[in-house]
Amino acid sequence: MQEKIKIIQDQLANAIEQREPLKIVGGDSKAFLGRNSTGTSLEMSSYSGVISYEPTELYITARSGTTLSEINNTLTEHGQMLAFDPPQINASTTIGGVVATGLSGPRRPYTGSVRDYVLGIHCINGLGKELTFGGQVMKNVAGYDLSRLMTGAYGTLGVILDISLKVMPIPEFEMTCHQLLSAEKALAKMLELSTGNIPISASCYDGEALFIRLSGDEKVVKTSSEAIGMDVLEQAQLFWDELRDYKSSIFNSDNNVWRLSVPLTSVVAVADDSCLIDWGGGLYWLNSDRSAEEIFNMASVAGGSAMLFKGSDRQQEVFQPLTDGLLSLHKGLKNAFDPHGILNPGKMYATV
Amino acid sequence: MNFSKLTEILPAGAVLLSEESRRVYECDALSAHRVMPGCVVLPDTVEQVQAILSYCHSHDIPVVARGAGTGLSGGAMPHEEGVLLILAKFNKIIEIDPEQRTARVQPGVRNLAISDAVKSHGLYYAPDPSSQIACTIGGNVAENSGGVHCLKYGLTVHNIMQLKLVTIEGELITVGSHAFDSAGYDLLALLTGSEGMLAVIVEVTVKLVPKPPFSRVLLAAFDDVEKAGNAVAGVIAEGIIPAGLEMMDKGGVRAVEDFVHAGYPTDAEAILLCELDGTQDEVETGLNAVEQLLTRFGATEVRVAQNDAESDLFWAGRKAAFPAAGRVAPDYYCMDGTIPRKHIAQVLSGINDLSKKYKLDVINVFHAGDGNLHPLILYDIAIPGELKRTEAFGSDILKLCIEMGGTITGEHGVGIEKINEMCIQFSDDELEQFHAVKAAFDKKGLLNPGKAVPTLNRCAEFGAMHVHAGKDKFPELERY
Ligand SMILES: Cc1cc2nc3c(=O)[nH]c(=O)nc-3n(C[C@H](O)[C@H](O)[C@H](O)COP(=O)(O)OP(=O)(O)OC[C@H]3O[C@@H](n4cnc5c(N)ncnc54)[C@H](O)[C@@H]3O)c2cc1C
Repeated sequence: MQEKIKIIQDQLANAIEQREPLKIVGGDSKAFLGRNSTGTSLEMSSYSGVISYEPTELYITARSGTTLSEINNTLTEHGQMLAFDPPQINASTTIGGVVATGLSGPRRPYTGSVRDYVLGIHCINGLGKELTFGGQVMKNVAGYDLSRLMTGAYGTLGVILDISLKVMPIPEFEMTCHQLLSAEKALAKMLELSTGNIPISASCYDGEALFIRLSGDEKVVKTSSEAIGMDVLEQAQLFWDELRDYKSSIFNSDNNVWRLSVPLTSVVAVADDSCLIDWGGGLYWLNSDRSAEEIFNMASVAGGSAMLFKGSDRQQEVFQPLTDGLLSLHKGLKNAFDPHGILNPGKMYATV
Repeated sequence: MNFSKLTEILPAGAVLLSEESRRVYECDALSAHRVMPGCVVLPDTVEQVQAILSYCHSHDIPVVARGAGTGLSGGAMPHEEGVLLILAKFNKIIEIDPEQRTARVQPGVRNLAISDAVKSHGLYYAPDPSSQIACTIGGNVAENSGGVHCLKYGLTVHNIMQLKLVTIEGELITVGSHAFDSAGYDLLALLTGSEGMLAVIVEVTVKLVPKPPFSRVLLAAFDDVEKAGNAVAGVIAEGIIPAGLEMMDKGGVRAVEDFVHAGYPTDAEAILLCELDGTQDEVETGLNAVEQLLTRFGATEVRVAQNDAESDLFWAGRKAAFPAAGRVAPDYYCMDGTIPRKHIAQVLSGINDLSKKYKLDVINVFHAGDGNLHPLILYDIAIPGELKRTEAFGSDILKLCIEMGGTITGEHGVGIEKINEMCIQFSDDELEQFHAVKAAFDKKGLLNPGKAVPTLNRCAEFGAMHVHAGKDKFPELERY
């Protein structure tokens, strides 16, 4: 694999010389995310394989081109999982793409996000330098936390080579309850349940029914489900997998699909758009033909941010525009990692 | 340096210029390192902080932020020609939102004050450094502080949602939000643990968690440190994530027992404290499983607390560990490396060897569940040369942690204390990357100069003296 690293470094050196941007590609399953970007492809899927996995140390280290399914299979064998519930878009989804986009699944409000589980990253910055930040241990405050900074940076700060992630035990038992409710009642119920001591691991409202998943000790889960008093959902696994992997019907729309992350108690002006609410009220998926400006404005009024998840126009900004102060910090950081601007430039924001 | 202009920005009494008033702030809890600050300021509004920073920026004056000064790595050690910016007056809880389970607080609010303020809602703020009655949330964010419950509930970085910060230019910027995900780079993570090097934090939104309905502590004794170390890995392998999993060696047990009489078995080579929380059923099932498991791993005795009072007593010993160390020796020096759990026994035995080599006693009381060691080196500053020997001993412990695939600091930060060891843990290219990140926030290098990240020159000098000498000390051990 040292050879592959050398090839990447050569490609980088070449790109710098030619002033030709690189487009980093893992499994290409998330090519639809972010702004349109051009450049020569830097292929990462051949840089793959689990490097080390120690169940008792609660970590796994893998090369970025390793498929998510390989990682999941390895962990499942030992009764462990990635607790941030990463979307498995298709068989070629890689762990590098998971970390670069920072997208977590339905479990996220209860167990944490991708970056919460990132322990360390080995990467190449825009100058072709091989760097390692963080490590495999749970607590590490030596130096700035650059591995978490790179999580969700869409490859604009470095080419991720290897990633160490914290893993967690798979819950002993899970069950899902559901109930037909109005949106208002469903939201109130999600809030109410999450402040109690009920072992919720996912809660969503699909426009008609509220779905609550409980995870943990079997006895506790069963008693809690009785306390909630909703119907038990059969085939729950399929339901949550579809939601996590963007296969539910809300994602198959001719309209733009927007993803809004908002504070739990905020009110989102959904209007007539069809909508699915995940994360206990903290994540809205909208099918809408409203303008980007209108959606960004709505998200910002609600105290959150929007992202054009699937849509036609990817020339414009697809992520919530940043305040001037934040944007200038972003530009400064981009310059600190990639002064020649060759790593996925413009993928996140036009000027970053 | 002309500091008197600051009195035009700040009200009378908020600028300390006299020598006696400045002397109080010469050091943080790493008291062996002292510097008289050029000037001390105690603002109480964000606008004042903006004005101070913008003034310092235009006049090239260094600025060191300080919370409660409980830091153990010299992060808040002042600069002799600079301003020491104390945030202690920012001690208000601005807003509590029990529905959303967040609290928006000023940076000078003490860690425990947050949990106290939200108690009536059945909530608390999870990260609980032992210093929690004194340390500030701003300091916690700057150090990414942890505590005994971090194994299950995470560090500061996992428990905050939004920060307001003032840049060295005096600009007020919000990072993160009250939503789960925010747009752009994860500056919230970058700022957490940045040791006052990138910006001054003027507001923090923390997450709150519901108080678990039930919790219990169990104490296990071992006649062998290695068995105790293996038992720690065994608990985790079983799929159990305790709320806390702490270990104490014989020296620790004895020091503590003499002090608080928690009933610890003083003939044990090591003890483990394991806390489980959740519903009563869940905890009781879990305790059973842990008890059997620890016995299987060779525990000579397992005691399950029968009630809350006994749980508290078990914890009282652990919590009194630092003051107990202070009673058995005139001074102690607390180290903070993290290692993979499986190497706990080997590293403790390595530390013992070093203890003999340096002729200094050491006791170990630490967060075993996350492999975060806190060797306390006992010494007497009044004996000439003993502090130097202590620091050399400490540095060797950190090198050992790096060799074992760990890190030089798990929660106390680099500050000034571990600046040399940074040269061992990171390559020049990595250090350059850190400097580039710093420059993106603070081009002139005015915020906390000389801390956290060493210059390459410093490493070159240090390397000539140390690095290679210490390298092959444990050739039999695996490397990463
Ligand atoms: C007895 C004892 C026990 C301890 N136990 C633990 C423990 O269990 N776990 C643990 O993690 N730590 C522990 N500590 C260390 C210490 O309490 C923590 O690091 C704490 O977070 C420091 O908070 P502080 O307010 O005292 O910060 P200070 O010491 O004042 O400052 C620490 C650093 O933060 C910076 N800083 C402070 N406030 C701000 C701000 N508003 N904006 C920007 N930068 C700022 C300073 O410049 C400095 O670099 C312990 C310390 C003692 C003395």
